[in-house]
Amino acid sequence: MSGMTRGYVVRRFLMWVLTVWLGATLIFAIPRLAPGDPIAAMVLRMSAQGQIIENSAELIQAWRERFGLDGPWYVQYVNWLRNCMTLDFGYSLTQFPARVWEMIWRALPWTIALLTFAVIITFILGNLIGALLGWRKTPPLLRSLLPLTLTFSSIPPFIFGLLLLFIFAYTLDLFPNQGAYDSRNLQPGLTVEFLASALHHAILPAMAIVLTSMGGWALGMRGMMITTDGEDYMILAQAKGLRTPRLFLRYAVRNALLPQLTALALSLGLIVGGSVLIETYFVYPGVGYLLYYSITNGDYTLMQGIVFILILTTATAVLIIDLLYPLIDPRITFQKR
Amino acid sequence: MATLTAEPVAARPAPQVRVNRWDSPWLNAKLIIGLIMVLSVALSGVVGGMFWDLRLARVGTSPQDLPPAFVPGGTWAHPLGTENSGRDMLAVLLTGAPRSFRIGLIAATIGLLIGVVLGCLAGFLGGWVDRLILIASDAWITIPSLVVLIVISAFVRQISAETMAVLIAMFAWPGPTRLIRAQVLTLRERGYIRMARLSGANTFDVIFREMMPNMLPYIAASFTGNVSGAILASAGLEALGLGPTRIPTLGMTIFYANQASAVIRGMWWWWGFPFLVLAIIFSGLFLIAIGLDEVANPRLRGLQVKQ
Amino acid sequence: MNSPKKRLHALGSAIVGFSLLLAATANVAQAAPPQQSVPREQTLILDIDGGKVITPDLWNPLVPGSRRDHGFHQSMIEPLFILNYMTGKINPWLGESFTPNAKQDVWTLKLNKNAKWNDGKPVTADDVVFTIGELCLKVKELNCHGAMNEWVKGVKKIDAQTVEFTLKNPNPRFQLDYFSVKIWGGINIMPKHIWEGKDPLTFKNYEKGKSPVFSGPYKLVSFNPDGTEFIYDRDDNWWAAKSGFKPLPAPKRLIWTWAGPPENRVALMADKKLDSLMDITKGAFDTLKAKNPNVIAWYKDLPYAVLDPCSRTFELNTTLEPWNDPEIRWALNYAIDRDQIVQIAYEGTTSKSRIPYPMYPPIQRLDKLLESKGMFEKYPIWEHNPKKTMEILEKKGWKKGSDGYYAKGGKQLSMVITTHEAFIEKQRIADVLVEQFQAVGINASHKKEAGQLWGDNFAFGKFEARMGWQMCGSVSEPWATLNTLNAKWIVPVGERANGNQWRWKNEQFSKIVDQIGVLPLGDKRIDDLFVQAMDIYFKELPVIPITQAKKLIPFDTTYWTNWPSDDNKYAPSWTWWQSFYDILVAIKPAKKS
Repeated sequence: MSGMTRGYVVRRFLMWVLTVWLGATLIFAIPRLAPGDPIAAMVLRMSAQGQIIENSAELIQAWRERFGLDGPWYVQYVNWLRNCMTLDFGYSLTQFPARVWEMIWRALPWTIALLTFAVIITFILGNLIGALLGWRKTPPLLRSLLPLTLTFSSIPPFIFGLLLLFIFAYTLDLFPNQGAYDSRNLQPGLTVEFLASALHHAILPAMAIVLTSMGGWALGMRGMMITTDGEDYMILAQAKGLRTPRLFLRYAVRNALLPQLTALALSLGLIVGGSVLIETYFVYPGVGYLLYYSITNGDYTLMQGIVFILILTTATAVLIIDLLYPLIDPRITFQKR
Repeated sequence: MATLTAEPVAARPAPQVRVNRWDSPWLNAKLIIGLIMVLSVALSGVVGGMFWDLRLARVGTSPQDLPPAFVPGGTWAHPLGTENSGRDMLAVLLTGAPRSFRIGLIAATIGLLIGVVLGCLAGFLGGWVDRLILIASDAWITIPSLVVLIVISAFVRQISAETMAVLIAMFAWPGPTRLIRAQVLTLRERGYIRMARLSGANTFDVIFREMMPNMLPYIAASFTGNVSGAILASAGLEALGLGPTRIPTLGMTIFYANQASAVIRGMWWWWGFPFLVLAIIFSGLFLIAIGLDEVANPRLRGLQVKQ
Repeated sequence: MNSPKKRLHALGSAIVGFSLLLAATANVAQAAPPQQSVPREQTLILDIDGGKVITPDLWNPLVPGSRRDHGFHQSMIEPLFILNYMTGKINPWLGESFTPNAKQDVWTLKLNKNAKWNDGKPVTADDVVFTIGELCLKVKELNCHGAMNEWVKGVKKIDAQTVEFTLKNPNPRFQLDYFSVKIWGGINIMPKHIWEGKDPLTFKNYEKGKSPVFSGPYKLVSFNPDGTEFIYDRDDNWWAAKSGFKPLPAPKRLIWTWAGPPENRVALMADKKLDSLMDITKGAFDTLKAKNPNVIAWYKDLPYAVLDPCSRTFELNTTLEPWNDPEIRWALNYAIDRDQIVQIAYEGTTSKSRIPYPMYPPIQRLDKLLESKGMFEKYPIWEHNPKKTMEILEKKGWKKGSDGYYAKGGKQLSMVITTHEAFIEKQRIADVLVEQFQAVGINASHKKEAGQLWGDNFAFGKFEARMGWQMCGSVSEPWATLNTLNAKWIVPVGERANGNQWRWKNEQFSKIVDQIGVLPLGDKRIDDLFVQAMDIYFKELPVIPITQAKKLIPFDTTYWTNWPSDDNKYAPSWTWWQSFYDILVAIKPAKKS
């Protein structure tokens, strides 16, 4: 197979640059299309304790200068692109004098930890269910029972999170109902107590993510499996008399899984954005809440910082998978067309 | 476009089927059960309106906080109970369910259609078209929909369920685009596609006559997931004020239940019945998807007979 | 099938990865958990009203990002004075007295001579002069700048405990509005020896492991990096206890915690892990009481809830046809059934309003005054009479079409009521209003808007009708609420208004308001002027009073007693206000230890 040419890698890398640039431009432009003025809103909020301020215009101007939002849009745009390159997003608009990067950094480890944990399990379980559903030799009983597990994904996550809390935390008292670790008694660090506490606290939120989102993966995987089933090499492998489990995993699942990996990379942003509900209901620290807060409170600088990091991560993950693709999947060629 | 995707489904497997069987492949049990489930939800408003007063879905038309009739304290005047603003749950379900379903259906259809068209174009034509589509979809998918929707909500006064569906569809296309493109890339190297291209069939024909039937299982599955996703997304939009509010949809009903602490109050009927309807919609679509696969993919069906 | 092994493998690596990442958070943790543990019966655990504290290491209360409701201004920053809501009297705290001259433009503040910061240094006139003169007046971006800059011409130290404020204009409410915790909080004094030489905008006022310097009875011990839990321990050297001004608060430790959704918080309180909650719904309160019989609220029975200072109002943009016509506004009022609103939107936990004021005892006196002048007979504001609505509309030329809606000149009578997306209480009122207006033939609908947009649309006059609370201001005297309708605030639609966003213009009304504005608090002449102003208000009805606002705040008597209630109304129940000190020094342990 022609595999990877140098030209392909260069083209692909250029696309990565363009994707990140387009994403950065969109997230710069979209909030500016909205009517209203976040600075004015901030000043108003500051004085909202039943008081009326007469000279708010002067205050608004002072803050606008401080955030560099007083220049024409193209100056702001160039500054924004420069900030993206240095990953320095300045001060938060509503949490001044907190810096955007400092706020993200405080929440990020928890998000990465919980989501990695939950998404890997979701991905494995979802794809396994999907593969079994799409596989011809799955026992009929299993095949008719598995779809039941998928109905979870039709429940809104917020009510599902509450139900989990109600059953496992309030009624059975098996799991804590809030927080990421026992912060009244423990200090974060590499200790057994802390890690055990953190795991104990992570189980319910992880369960909520896994159960409500594995259905999507299963549906996709099932479709892939059926498509794969019709491939010539499957028929050949069968004809060779390979054993069923080997056929299932090595041939069918492996090939069906590839597009799912791309989907996983692409959904990183959605997963982080969607985790706000989990973070709210389980009072779990993380970037999802920060993102939601920034959007609903008009904190442009914070929101743009978080979204840019999401864009960067997603585009990079997709880039890596695309570069690995021809190595894993011999069916795809990248000749110039 | 819809006929284009549906037609080959029927046309391709037909000859094989008639060799083996006398019955039509369309008389598939899963397909029929699924259709019945989905149709019962879609038509519940029309049929329900004949024997139940749908105006009871409005605020303050019934006593508050009644449990369903079959539970002590309930009354047959409100068979499924009422919620804390004096809405009758049966009327809420009868009016909310079809609307939710319609929103889900429209949003998922538009999203998928855009995805199929862009994905096929990208995968088949390649070159700059491919790259542009990829860049656009990869960049768009990470922009949080909430940011865009808040901007839009600033410009609209009141919007209909249909407009809401279109708004949701704005965010439903990049996923299908990416994945269908990947499928096309794989398929286009297959023998019969190459053959078709060599024999001079035009691109359009190759895509829709040769490739589409092979992608159907995937498309159907993706569609099922997207309908549910869009129904849930609509609740989020309504909570933000993007959508009609006088009569709540299913998602919104659960949202209200949640706001009023229905879970801990033990008012299970408030969130339980809407959830049940959501599950029926989801399962019905899932059965239809499986049924369609079996119609389109004789091997699946044939194997069941053997086992 | 060998997949279970693989799955296990992946699960294992996921857990390892998870642990490693968590270990990384050790670096960002801000404070260690407290060393010594305090028994539950000596700990008071309260709910953080405003949700997660996004920047938990920010202990500078003067910058926009600051939060104060997580125990900061309820246990560390002390106010100068505290207004007693029940009597309307202003009680001393850090300040001993604050008196105006006859013209009400020179105010003299006397501090309590025993007041000390928690590092032992005395609280003096220098701190006040520094805070107001050097910080609030000079640094535009601080949140105390707007108010101080509007009124204060200069501050000067008279002696160690005395400060003189010279105002730009007479203001009889200078103390009440800014230094008495009239609503939520106020302008606070910072210790000069800590703040001098710091950039007040970027100063975080926090050093790991140390409590910031303020004068309150508690010191910060720790908080979690997520900003959901803050722990304070009692400072037994608190100046007010030492000098005998106030008793030492009974709780040894205070914990302010945010437990997420109402379910979670109710579950914690049912479990006796929380001593109070922020506002909850009636249904949740019933559940809570069933699970924990020790829980009480302000009233023993319905409405249970205590009054909130911002009464709820239905507001119209008076620049728009046909809402610019007072008769049409009255037609709307006749269509409103407030009893149904109380029943459905509040489930009986509040009462209806006939004036746009909160009905605290000082305001009840004003309400009685209006009643004695026959105002409510002249203007039957509580009359629910759809027939009159239709009569007025038909008199004004509106005709009911076949669709059941009124129309005039081909234009349907429709209305969009907007609400703030985060406030379910007002949304539920709006939902009932929509049905009541629909019932008389007005095509009303309800639209929720994201907070910032809702605020902007209000300020710029880009709304038709809204369910809000923007006449809020008065709690013990009539002026502040009347002043929200003063014509002097009016700017054209499309420009940001700082007041009177409804753009209701009445010169006579505004003149009376300005007259009241310069009279000393409690002046006899105010009553008459108030009745005159209200006469105009009722006649025009630019903003329609709907209900009183409620806060259903449960207290648990398992560990702590002597909570404020209707039988024992020494203070309102607000645990998130700076006036919480009144409750803090009053509560007693349930069991003698």
